[in-house]
Amino acid sequence: MTYMAIPNIGNYTIALATAVESLGINAWASTATTPAALKLGIDAAPESVCLPLKAHLGHFIEADRAGVEYAFMVNSVGTCRLRYYRHMIGQILKDLGLKIKIFGLGFDGFKPPIVRHFDPGPITFIKPLFHTVQKIKVIDELEVAAWRTRAIEITHGDTTQVMNKLLVELSESKTMAQTRAIRKKAAGCFADIPVDKEKKPLKVGLVGEISFLRDKCLNKNIEYILGSQGIELRNFFLLGEELQNITRIVFLNQSRRKSLSKLADRYLQNSVGGHALDSVAYSIHCADEGYDGMIHLCPSGCMPEVSVRPILKRVSKDKNIPILEMSYDEHTCSVGIATRLEAFADVLMERRKKNSSTAQRGKRAGHG
Amino acid sequence: MIMIKRLHESAGVYIGTGNKFLRNISPEWMWKSGTDSCSSLRIGIPRMFFYYIYPGLWETFFSELGMKPIVSRPSTTKTVEKASQISETEHCLPNKLFDAHLAELVGKVDMVFVPRVLSTIKNHLSCPKFGPLPDAARADIARGTEVLSIDIDVSRSPLSKTLLLLGKKLNIQKSKTLSAINSSFSAMEAAHKKMARPDRIKGAPRFLLIGHPYVIHDNFIAGPILNKLESMGVEVELVSFADDTPAKSYILWSTANKIYHEINTLTSEDYDGVIQLTVFNCGCDSMMIDTYRQLMKDKNIPYMYLMVDEHLAQSGIDTRVEAFIDSLRWRQ
Ligand code: SF4
Repeated sequence: MTYMAIPNIGNYTIALATAVESLGINAWASTATTPAALKLGIDAAPESVCLPLKAHLGHFIEADRAGVEYAFMVNSVGTCRLRYYRHMIGQILKDLGLKIKIFGLGFDGFKPPIVRHFDPGPITFIKPLFHTVQKIKVIDELEVAAWRTRAIEITHGDTTQVMNKLLVELSESKTMAQTRAIRKKAAGCFADIPVDKEKKPLKVGLVGEISFLRDKCLNKNIEYILGSQGIELRNFFLLGEELQNITRIVFLNQSRRKSLSKLADRYLQNSVGGHALDSVAYSIHCADEGYDGMIHLCPSGCMPEVSVRPILKRVSKDKNIPILEMSYDEHTCSVGIATRLEAFADVLMERRKKNSSTAQRGKRAGHG
Repeated sequence: MIMIKRLHESAGVYIGTGNKFLRNISPEWMWKSGTDSCSSLRIGIPRMFFYYIYPGLWETFFSELGMKPIVSRPSTTKTVEKASQISETEHCLPNKLFDAHLAELVGKVDMVFVPRVLSTIKNHLSCPKFGPLPDAARADIARGTEVLSIDIDVSRSPLSKTLLLLGKKLNIQKSKTLSAINSSFSAMEAAHKKMARPDRIKGAPRFLLIGHPYVIHDNFIAGPILNKLESMGVEVELVSFADDTPAKSYILWSTANKIYHEINTLTSEDYDGVIQLTVFNCGCDSMMIDTYRQLMKDKNIPYMYLMVDEHLAQSGIDTRVEAFIDSLRWRQ
């Protein structure tokens, strides 16, 4: 049986695996980079490159050790370092003497080389693609539901359990009908979790570099930590939305991008590269929507994200919304992260109390 | 006496803001087309990034337009101290220095000039850090000061056109802008010529120093290394960015590809060695160093890279440079 290693993009890896399996090969992947793989990557890469590259690299080295022959990487067209990832990773793997062969998703001609190489029949290929998209949408929904429920669950860990169960089912689902059934069931599963309806959890938005938004190992499980502190999250990377974005760009209608740049316009008039524009735009969006705070995640030294920090600071001041800057390097430990998040949550709670008391006082004064 | 018209006075000459480049200049900074006496308008140019990318261009351009360009002083240890106080800790060193240079100008000038340099060579890109530069300036350090900005994107429109637009933005007569463009281009050419090193002295070892233009020409970053090399009787040539037509390669960043192209056409006869000067936290260099090193290894040209950070320790650099030069002497 042939195996292909695919990059880890959080829970969406499950959907990506479906696409790979349509080529008649097994996917070798996990929904988070393993610490062992991360270590391999850190050792093999030049010191000054950024952490996501090291994670990718480590993942592929680990795959090679496990006897995987092929790997798949997405080509990026951005302005940042991501663009050179494939070249660099290929080079390093070659220098290490590893045999794993990397495919990109480049379009040279009608079929991308990856499809040409494995040459599946058109029907066996097209159908799973739809299935993949469907799965991505389901995962989007699950994520949103989990963020909401985790903050108000009565017994800690319920939501995570349900989520994991559903994700496992989803990864085993072979047909679109099965996936549809899971989707139907999911809402019920989340609704069955006993929750504290009275509770008004703090709302926090998560923005930043995408590998960090998605990969639990890289971000030290930030979604879980925040959720179990009773904070309702909104992670601003949903692949379903992103996909819409991509296909729209292909059809020359960049409406989502446009609306983002419009939102950010007062502060930033350039898309910068990476997801820096999204970080600024969503921070403004969240401030307007009445979120309690924002968290901006990025690997240390990330070019686009770091360069918009002064702008985020300004947004934070102008719009009166606290923005926590988190930057990760290879020495970041989860304890430190948890402590900072706790402190941040405390600050947000204090602010809320203060705001509501002033609001009440205002009201009373108004009555009198 | 500043000849600045308020919006209501100059309504007739107010430029429509349909063009993206023409926004973001407050009406009080527009003066009547053709007025000559705007000489007291001081425009600040931070001595970083675009100052070195287009050497000599900006001072000439603005003074030809009748303004008074003021360039911040060359970087020193003081600049670095200031930078570490006010700038984002995770910025690359040049970006930190840029912030300090900007801060030096704020308060001393009527407006500061921070263009958005998106690409300097056709079909290439600049470092992503240049994208939000003017926005970041407005948001933070140059807050409260007028920030004059323009998008320089050579892939879309040539530099001369951009400058014309800049003149228009400042409400200056087209003919005047045109002549300013001409003289500033020749000033840039002259500056490039001056930067080029003289002919080879027979016998002396000769090295090529590569790096971003604002790195190898910055007083603080490159100064100590150049001095050291000079004191050792070594000739150094700084890589030139005068000619901007590098062959296309997989590298899209303009400086990186330019350097790649430059060292790709080297032979071991041209230079005795190549020294790369890189700065702490530079993302572009971190991806490129290995490529350069490999290339130099294939060509059998000695290569070394020096990383400079805020705490530039003179002695450390000295020893490394000495060791490198000595090892080459023995090799011969
Ligand atoms: S190329 Fe490097 S040194 Fe220059 S701005 Fe970008 S990160 Fe900084």
